[in-house]
Amino acid sequence: MNLRLLIPVVFVLSSTAVSQRNQTTTPRNGGDFSTNVSADKVPSGVILVKGAWSSASDTTTAVPEGGTLLHNAYTNDYFGISYEIPGDWTELYKGPPPSDSGRYVLAQLSPSETFKGPSRGIVLITAQDLFFAPEPAVNALDLVKYSRDHLQADYKVEIQPSTAKVADRPFTFFAYWSPVAQLHWYVLATEIRCHAVEIVLSSQDTKLLERQVVALDRMKLPAEASPTLGTGGGEFPFCAKDYATDDHILTRVDPVFSEHRFNPVPVRIIIDKNGAVKHIHFLSAFPDQAKAVTDALRQWKFKPYVRDGKPTEIETGILFGTPLFPAVRKASSSSVE
Amino acid sequence: MSCSLNRAPQVVSGSRFSKLQPRSKDPIHNSVHGKTNLSTNLFMRTAMLVSSMTLAVLFFASTIAAQTDPGVQSGNRGTGAAFSSVQLNSPSGILSFFTDGQTRFQAVESVSGSPTNNNGLGPRFNSNSCSSCHTQPAVGGSGGPSNPEAQFTSNGVAPDNTTPSFITPNGPTLEARFPFFFNSNGTVNTNAPNGGVEDLFTVTGRSDAGSCNLPQPSFATAVQTGNVIFRIPTPTFGVGLIENLDDSTLLNNQVTNLHNNFGIGGSFNRNGNDGTITRFGWKAQNKSLQIFGGEAYNVEMGISNLLFPQDRPLPGEDQQLTGLPSNCLNLSGAGYPEDSSNPAASSNAAVLDDVSAFANFMRTLAPPPPGGVLLNGQPVSSSDISTGASLFSSIGCAVCHNPSPGTTQASNVTSSLSKVSVNAYSDIEVHHMGSGLADNVSQGGAGGDQFRTAPLWGLGQRIFLNHDGRTTNLINAIKNHASHGSEASVVEQNFFNLNSTQQQQILDFLRSL
Repeated sequence: MNLRLLIPVVFVLSSTAVSQRNQTTTPRNGGDFSTNVSADKVPSGVILVKGAWSSASDTTTAVPEGGTLLHNAYTNDYFGISYEIPGDWTELYKGPPPSDSGRYVLAQLSPSETFKGPSRGIVLITAQDLFFAPEPAVNALDLVKYSRDHLQADYKVEIQPSTAKVADRPFTFFAYWSPVAQLHWYVLATEIRCHAVEIVLSSQDTKLLERQVVALDRMKLPAEASPTLGTGGGEFPFCAKDYATDDHILTRVDPVFSEHRFNPVPVRIIIDKNGAVKHIHFLSAFPDQAKAVTDALRQWKFKPYVRDGKPTEIETGILFGTPLFPAVRKASSSSVE
Repeated sequence: MSCSLNRAPQVVSGSRFSKLQPRSKDPIHNSVHGKTNLSTNLFMRTAMLVSSMTLAVLFFASTIAAQTDPGVQSGNRGTGAAFSSVQLNSPSGILSFFTDGQTRFQAVESVSGSPTNNNGLGPRFNSNSCSSCHTQPAVGGSGGPSNPEAQFTSNGVAPDNTTPSFITPNGPTLEARFPFFFNSNGTVNTNAPNGGVEDLFTVTGRSDAGSCNLPQPSFATAVQTGNVIFRIPTPTFGVGLIENLDDSTLLNNQVTNLHNNFGIGGSFNRNGNDGTITRFGWKAQNKSLQIFGGEAYNVEMGISNLLFPQDRPLPGEDQQLTGLPSNCLNLSGAGYPEDSSNPAASSNAAVLDDVSAFANFMRTLAPPPPGGVLLNGQPVSSSDISTGASLFSSIGCAVCHNPSPGTTQASNVTSSLSKVSVNAYSDIEVHHMGSGLADNVSQGGAGGDQFRTAPLWGLGQRIFLNHDGRTTNLINAIKNHASHGSEASVVEQNFFNLNSTQQQQILDFLRSL
């Protein structure tokens, strides 16, 4: 072939390819492509895509994880707790969402930058929903005993579980320490609304722990707070485990999970005096599960809970989805389809 | 109230327990394991005195030197070897499976025309070989000191591409994802979660890629708008043991650890089909090593296979129904899947498809052996490492980074996988890691802030740390565990509340793994 002809042909083919390439590579907008460099930034440090999370059917009814720390006062309307923390302490980090086993981190307090002392420490306030506890515990005292009985080899018991008073309310007190870390833990537990509320103080400095214990005396606690008897009443609804049984249910519609099916969905409900579900609190649920359960529970009807001859509100728990524990899990079905 | 546990300490006026007075009606308050409460208290006060003296010594020691990450340990610990039973070729033939898989793991893939049958790369990819990313400290590991992705636009692997700004020669080897899709006007749509892998490169400009011309995703804009996150390669040593843990073993371990005083919860990611526990990948999103390898072959290298039989478009191309252009499909010319079994091969190992070979290799890689630690050129004493291990456990690290989440089932693969303790330093659960580490990518049941507890075996020889390789310093990696919403904030604070000597012992211990 004549080279003079070949070169233009090659050039034309080449330029066609480049043209196609340019056409194909023209920046697009949408999907994975954007030319808008001045677009708003995605907020940093914000969890926008959540998995199973806590939620509630309304925003006015207090929920356990709804406590706030404002002007050095921790207030939790659900538990009726308020606690003025020492001036040189703060909450550096908020806790995680409730676990699907019913565990809450209500507050985790530590010394602020202005703190002066030989050693720092932590005050961790947690709650375990006793309706969903993985431990064989029916009250706060049981839970502390379980802790003592299952203490790992790293720790030594300092004080056996014993009864103590904090802010004029009875608590179970338990202390242990780690010889190698020189860390001491004081655990104070009581029961409120069928939750074991635990205040866990830890530090290498026992003087610091003592001061924190003294500070706890400024807490305000509900009258029901007790290691074994915090089952509601007074300013709160009564609470009872396993109330949502056939004995008490008049109408039941089961939710259908389609997208997420294999996680526990622990739910607390408040049943009103007429036996209708008044409030639904999901400790942990994917949005599709929360919607399915809400749609179902709105149709449930209970026999009114009667106490002292009067219909009254009651709070109970229901576990939807797949139970957490292996023994129970074995009963669940699976599919290979 | 119940008085069944009234083993209350007798109150000693002025003692540190005086605040916690037993209620006056408590009928029993004089016995704790055979000791009087007073003696118990005295005993403890003595213990406290010893503790205080120790603290004083430790405090003095801590003023001598602040804690330092000993860094990547360079000695040859034997990492990257096959299990002992595999080395003994038990059962017969398994050693050839291992060596064949190891060879394929290191093969460099082409788009088409390769005489060695290593075709199918692209049209989008992050790298052209498994071992280019899984290389530190041996084949099968995590990212190495030199990032191959930084060379691809200049060495012919991705000639007509632009190296994204976050890919640097000595930085971490990365996979990129956009947490959210872009709107058609180019803004980020935070109501439209994306989360899929945005491959860094395309085959555009390669001589073996025909006329396929694809634009790279908008990395510059993604960086500008903060709509990009990264992942580094997970090491694969010892993963056969993790694969061979029964679900009930993991669940029992979870129940044991759920009751802790560190604020730690945890859950498992699960297979959407049968509900069983998934366990591989940064969010434990993959059920098995076969799936892990098959997905990586497809997503990271663009090679379709028996598990992922199509070439993969970008998430946005899928969403907008455009897919891959026809001139970018079947580039190898062999049809789909590009990787399949080889029935005409003469040896058993060669019959396997690449993904099965990869899985065989990873499954039979022994866990990384622990080793000695050099700190500033000096060997760390074994007692310091041992103390560090105890401290690591005492302050709560081991609740998640469980030294052994259990013992494997009987194995039908090789005896080294049977009935052995899995010293992975992981519970295989996913945990909320807070806003600081959150990547806003959901995978399976794991949300945008949840990550699998990274197994720490082999940590001593890893370079880049945390899921996105954001640091090379162990102290920073520990700091990154704390943020709003993290289950690890209390434990992180426990670490930094220790004195410097104790912190150093933990760091030394970690680099011994």
